[in-house]
Amino acid sequence: MPIDALMELVQQIVSFHMKHNAEPEAVDLLMEVEDLDLLVEHVDSTNYKRTCLYLTSSSKYLPAPDDMLALDIAYTIYMKFEDLASALRIALLLDNKSMQYVKQVYTATDDLLLKKQFSYIIARHGLAMEIDDEITADDNDKEVLQEIVNNTKLSEGYLTLARDIEVMEPKSPEDIYKVHLIDGRGASSSLDSARQNLAATFVNAFVNAGFGQDKLMTGPSDSSSSGASGNWLFKNKEHGKASAAASLGMILLWDTDSGLAQLDKYLHSNDAHVVAGALLGIGIVTCGVKNDCDPALAILTEYISKDDPNIRIGAILGLGIAYAGSHKEELKTHLSTVLGDSQSTLEVLIFSAIALGLVFVGSCNEEIAQSIILALMERSEAELAEPIIRLLPVALGLLYLGKQESAEATAEVSKTFDEKIRKYCDVTLMSLAYAGTGNVLKVQKLLGICSQHLEKGETHQGPAVIGIALISMAEELGAEMAVRSLERLLQYGEQNIRRAVPLALGILCISNPKVNVMDTLSRLSHDADADVSMAAIISLGLIGAGTNNARIAGMLRNLSSYYYKEAAHLFCVRIAQGLVHLGKGLLTLSPYHSDRFLLSPMALGGLVTVLHACLDMKSTILGKYHYILYIIVLAMQPRMLLTVDEDLKPLPVPVRVGQAVDVVGQAGRPKTITGFQTHSTPVLLAAGERAELATEKYIPLSSVLEGFVILKKNPEYHED
Amino acid sequence: MPTVNVKWQKETFQGIEIDTSQPPIVFKSQLYTLTGVPPERQKIMVKGGILKDDADWFTLGVKDGQKLMMIGTADEIVKAPEKGPVFVEDLPEEEQVVALGHSAGLYNLGNTCYMNSTLQCLHSVPELKSALLSYSDNVRGNGVDQASHNLTVATRNTFGELDQSVRPVAPLLFLQTLRKKYPQFAQQQNNVYMQQDAEECWAQLVYTLSQTIMSETSEPPAGPVKELFGIDLVSRVHCAESGEESLERESIYSLKCHISHDVNHLHEGLKHGLKSELEKASPSLGRTALYTRESRINELPRYLTVQFVRFFWKRESNQKAKILRKVDYPLELDVYDFCSDELKQKLQAPRQLLRDAENAKFGLKAQGKANSSKENEGSSSSAGESSNMDIDKADSSARNKQLTGIYDLIAVLTHKGRSADSGHYVGWVKQDDGKWIEFDDDNPSIRKEEEILKLSGGGDWHMAYICLYKARVI
Repeated sequence: MPIDALMELVQQIVSFHMKHNAEPEAVDLLMEVEDLDLLVEHVDSTNYKRTCLYLTSSSKYLPAPDDMLALDIAYTIYMKFEDLASALRIALLLDNKSMQYVKQVYTATDDLLLKKQFSYIIARHGLAMEIDDEITADDNDKEVLQEIVNNTKLSEGYLTLARDIEVMEPKSPEDIYKVHLIDGRGASSSLDSARQNLAATFVNAFVNAGFGQDKLMTGPSDSSSSGASGNWLFKNKEHGKASAAASLGMILLWDTDSGLAQLDKYLHSNDAHVVAGALLGIGIVTCGVKNDCDPALAILTEYISKDDPNIRIGAILGLGIAYAGSHKEELKTHLSTVLGDSQSTLEVLIFSAIALGLVFVGSCNEEIAQSIILALMERSEAELAEPIIRLLPVALGLLYLGKQESAEATAEVSKTFDEKIRKYCDVTLMSLAYAGTGNVLKVQKLLGICSQHLEKGETHQGPAVIGIALISMAEELGAEMAVRSLERLLQYGEQNIRRAVPLALGILCISNPKVNVMDTLSRLSHDADADVSMAAIISLGLIGAGTNNARIAGMLRNLSSYYYKEAAHLFCVRIAQGLVHLGKGLLTLSPYHSDRFLLSPMALGGLVTVLHACLDMKSTILGKYHYILYIIVLAMQPRMLLTVDEDLKPLPVPVRVGQAVDVVGQAGRPKTITGFQTHSTPVLLAAGERAELATEKYIPLSSVLEGFVILKKNPEYHED
Repeated sequence: MPTVNVKWQKETFQGIEIDTSQPPIVFKSQLYTLTGVPPERQKIMVKGGILKDDADWFTLGVKDGQKLMMIGTADEIVKAPEKGPVFVEDLPEEEQVVALGHSAGLYNLGNTCYMNSTLQCLHSVPELKSALLSYSDNVRGNGVDQASHNLTVATRNTFGELDQSVRPVAPLLFLQTLRKKYPQFAQQQNNVYMQQDAEECWAQLVYTLSQTIMSETSEPPAGPVKELFGIDLVSRVHCAESGEESLERESIYSLKCHISHDVNHLHEGLKHGLKSELEKASPSLGRTALYTRESRINELPRYLTVQFVRFFWKRESNQKAKILRKVDYPLELDVYDFCSDELKQKLQAPRQLLRDAENAKFGLKAQGKANSSKENEGSSSSAGESSNMDIDKADSSARNKQLTGIYDLIAVLTHKGRSADSGHYVGWVKQDDGKWIEFDDDNPSIRKEEEILKLSGGGDWHMAYICLYKARVI
């Protein structure tokens, strides 16, 4: 039969399916005949949502070009039916055409309110975008939209949530440790331990993140500026002071106005560590929040070429955090100069590479890749043996985060590296390039690497294990399979694999404390190998990050008494405790948002960097590079639903919050949540939860109720 | 002259004129009057970075109505305190021990946990430590052989090291001298030193110390060790058949708690242990007859050692087998019932005092409540007087410190495993602050009091083998 006749048949079948609630079958058939375009003409306003849902969900399981095609079709359909917010989400997912599609979405409507909603979604995703004349011609509108994209109001919204939940009261580390619940084990030494004070600094920073007040650094009142804050700062030792000063940035997170003002006085200190910390703090405060005046850029670049390496690192890392994901050209010149400078010390070099990686995350920027490669090739044998060197391949990988094949050219070049770093670089590059793609073939390849027996001194299996998690975290099914594969690695793998497994579990279930993973980590936290147990402890913190999970909190309390003598373990326990109570339970570290549909590259980049640093905790986090932990700020986002009215003022409405139900491929209008409770906004959303409006009075401008959602009055609503 | 808006912290200053013919410092002093931030602390964001004092306004291209941002505070600059804090990490090792709160562990030198646990338990007796401290290296008492002398010196040195070190101690010299003095501890199997019975080690060590440490003052030479640990028993040996009766006196270093099917508590076991039957030749009957022997304590020690007789020789397996039966023991032991009438008489007064002191404590508490609820000055003052009198009495009697027959548990030596020559010995010692430390060789860890009482046996967990009680004195 000629092909046209067959296609005629296909047309008929598809049209029949679409009319009879059998969208999946229609889509499947069209995929089979490789003519998805036909779909667009057959959908109507009653079935387009189901069709698109099926398309987007199945795109995760499609091979390389087909998945993009499916998403493209879904985008076209959404545009056709003017479901613009959903179209925007797909546009953000299709990253190679992102900007073009995003602009299309904006120009498809004249509704300013809708554009504001778009801006909120873009801000949550962390996309740096300039609102130009194409989007709106009006200067005032432009300013309003730009403000939303710049995340300027994030701090305000977060504090609204905090006030509503009544958690504004600052918490001290002791409130988190809860020593009174562990009988008599708290070391009651009259002397301060520098390491424990450092741990308290981090706990304090994590717990009070974004609240603008705490009990250690900001003190009771600003009038006695040299009072409490000065005291706590100097209760830390040397580089500990850097982390203490930087913690102020974390406490004032997103609130650039008061944050920069409070950090300013530390810049004038004569202690290099304090200045370095203040610079890093400036970076943290402005993380994800952009400003037209670019204060962070202006201040930090002043310090970037100072003599003191600590100050330089503070400024460089600060820039990396402040402008992560922004692809800002100015930074390329500034940081590349440092990277290319032969006078720079190894650590300065590495941190500038990491900063470049974070700023240009997923940019595939050849020029930067070249300079990092060059920096790697020029390292001497001795420098390649330094544990911190492992961050250089990570920096390189960050440039290609989630970009799949685009990394291949660079991967070729990395084959010419010194053999000490070659395999490490290779594995890291591949695992980062395919991070969040769910590519099964790459997972198998990494599993293959893990099954080899290594000669002494090779370390590339650690990144391979983390890579498995990074790739398979894309969707639930893959994540579950990865958990099982990791369990196997734990049983049969060699020691360097076992050390990475807890971290891999940590990223797979980040801010999502699944009971089986929790149990595995709890078991590993008592492992005889110190590295395994420390990694497991940190990972307990990661999976429970921002959940206040009572079970994990209890486990960590017990661990704190179990390891009360091991300073290193205790430090990890404290960090984990801080993470569990991150932002007093209002924050999440999950890089996924919008119903686990979109992946924020900047958040993932931050997590990956911290995880790789954790592969060798003794020389990074437990050594003098503990401030690497602050990179985690890139992944910190409020796990809230805040509904706002048309003037962007918080608007309390009743919502139902419940466990999300997978409704892909189901006919009719199935319930999307189960076991729900009705709350009034703002509300917290836990992992795997979904919200829906419990009132007809308003119409949300976004189909996914997460973060900031603008509500419009329903014109058809009549009060009974 | 362009006018700009300057944003400073949360404020915005509208319409500030810039005199572009003047250097930026003039603009900064304009802002100084508005914000109070000295010009040198002002950071003004312009295109391409921070506004420099020597910058040219024209190249910066400031436009009319532009928004500038100024950062800077007039806050005091943080200064480091003149004296930085001292951190635990900075201290030399010797001083870190104070921070740790308990003494160090002992390395296992190859099946020597029996010795380690014994040492740790005995180490908890401060009087023994001080007695050892006064023992000198070269003076050797009469009838003391060289090996015993060396062992005593080694004990003293090991205790000294335990007190000073933060790191676990390796009691090499002690082990050597112990094996020299008592060669049975050097027994080997397959070229490996064997596990030994901790009770044997304990008994031998205490015996040796009682021989070597002699106080010069006391006459006849009853050593301080005997004063500390020695129990005087008076036994009535009675033959039911002939009606013969005799009294025997002896001095021992530990009470035995016999474990039979009807023993569930230390008290019952001790009672059992003080009563025994024996066959011996009766002079009046001219043949062997059955005698019962009932012992009573005639003199109490400062530290009462109680041994659970958990091991017996099992002929068929040719080893010391273990009784796993659960035998509870109290944290506070009253041995009044086991004392001879003579001793009971002596104990009566101090026991009354102790009771009074306790009552007074409770009484005072009750009184305190009454005071707060209603004002009753008369009764409270009288109660105060009486309690004062009690305290006076207690003070006067404290000088000669009378025993009361009541003992508090201070150390437990436990065994885990199925026979005396195998398994693992661990010492559990109470600290001054009421915490317990489990000394598992070189690894001490903090325990709770409840956990100590769980060592009573009845399973495969550690079970008490020797308990050391300290006398409560008044």
